[in-house]
Amino acid sequence: MSEVIELLSYPFAYRALIAGSLISVCASVLGVILVLKHYSLIGHGLSEIGFASLSLSSALSVQPMYIAAPSVITASFVIMYVSRKYRTSGDTAIAIASSAALALGIVISSVSGTASNMSSYLFGSVLAVSEADLVVAVILSVIVIASFILLYNRLFLITYSEDYARSLGINTAMYQLIVSILTALVVVAGMRITGTLLISGVIILPAVSAKIVARGFRSLVIISGIVSFVAFILGLIMSFVINIPAGAVVILSNVAILILMKIFAGAKS
Amino acid sequence: MTERLRIKDAVIKYGDNPAVNGVSLTAGAGEMIFITGANGSGKSTLTKGIAGLLPLSSGTLVRTPRMSYVPQYEEADRDFPARAGEIVLTGTQRPGKLFHTRNDRNQAESAMNALGIYDLADREIRTLSGGQLRRVFLARAICGKPELLLLDEPCAGLDAHSHEVLFSILRGMMSEGCAVVMVTHDISDIDGIPEGRVIRISGGRIAGYE
Repeated sequence: MSEVIELLSYPFAYRALIAGSLISVCASVLGVILVLKHYSLIGHGLSEIGFASLSLSSALSVQPMYIAAPSVITASFVIMYVSRKYRTSGDTAIAIASSAALALGIVISSVSGTASNMSSYLFGSVLAVSEADLVVAVILSVIVIASFILLYNRLFLITYSEDYARSLGINTAMYQLIVSILTALVVVAGMRITGTLLISGVIILPAVSAKIVARGFRSLVIISGIVSFVAFILGLIMSFVINIPAGAVVILSNVAILILMKIFAGAKS
Repeated sequence: MTERLRIKDAVIKYGDNPAVNGVSLTAGAGEMIFITGANGSGKSTLTKGIAGLLPLSSGTLVRTPRMSYVPQYEEADRDFPARAGEIVLTGTQRPGKLFHTRNDRNQAESAMNALGIYDLADREIRTLSGGQLRRVFLARAICGKPELLLLDEPCAGLDAHSHEVLFSILRGMMSEGCAVVMVTHDISDIDGIPEGRVIRISGGRIAGYE
């Protein structure tokens, strides 16, 4: 308990707590759509493309977000297009693109001699959350939550039955694009805290846990957000107490919640 | 009679193979058309083409934008965490309309009442039987008050009473100007339904009218 009180006395911890909580909740809400649409790999692909962008920005000594944000958003367009057009080979395309991006990022950082800077991007760091990152997280969460509330009925329809939505004359590609852009922004903002290797888990795991107990789409979204928030707070506290990267403990907290929910659901049935 | 659907020389291909090859048909307000044929004859492909889910390789398609489509039962995701009432309500959505109104909810409720599934509204779809889920899809299709209703094998999994209820509802919709296009491989589904024109499809072409 004393460690938690000590943690809250540091400004960086406040920033990490607020920014991380907001990004985690946004990621988990978008994760519901990605999991139900079987697009779980997209978050993974985008994060590794984000790593390559961060390597390049580090090598060029450019503000990371100037390269990472446009690259990841562009990649999200391409991945969504490939997934929609070649449904059977979409996962394969994402796997190829993400491995290539990760390899490229390692090569760029090794050649430019910036490899040592990259570990905080790979594994995340709560110390890396600046005032500017906090502002970005607040703005981003307002955009994601407002979009989700405004488009809730449409997203539910398209997630459940895209074909039916298309038969009603609804432009489903536009809504998929909105989801991909928001996912790309969440990935870019979340990479600083959880790391590029683990941000996809923050997107996917809460939705998978929530799906075990949720009894409708609305409850799935709400439970996913709560699970993500709880896992992040647990992860942040534990990372401070045992001094290991927050991203890893946040993911392990999510996995622990997933296992507990499975056991709970199994016992109940 | 106002035309709700006109297809002329429609060709729909999977790769280089035409699954629908030069089909023409029209459906007017208050008309019912049954499309029959063996499995693989191209009837579901034709329905998907009409619904806008598959592009026409050639030919023309003109239809009312106010259309509802009931897909085959097998295409439904049974594991999706949604309640039956939520699914039915989606039938009232239209382009440019993001929120449900009280009127939409009333329409969804009366559609569920008509199909005898009002008490299932709060049930998760994964707990429904095949026949119940089929009626959920029918309720979704009719609650938007469509001018053209496309039904792909709607009688599969329905008991005799539900079958009777379905056709009674369809007759009511036709009397209000809705055109109904129904695909079925089992001709016994439409025995004793004198209103409909029957079009038999074979090898992607119209093989006859009955």
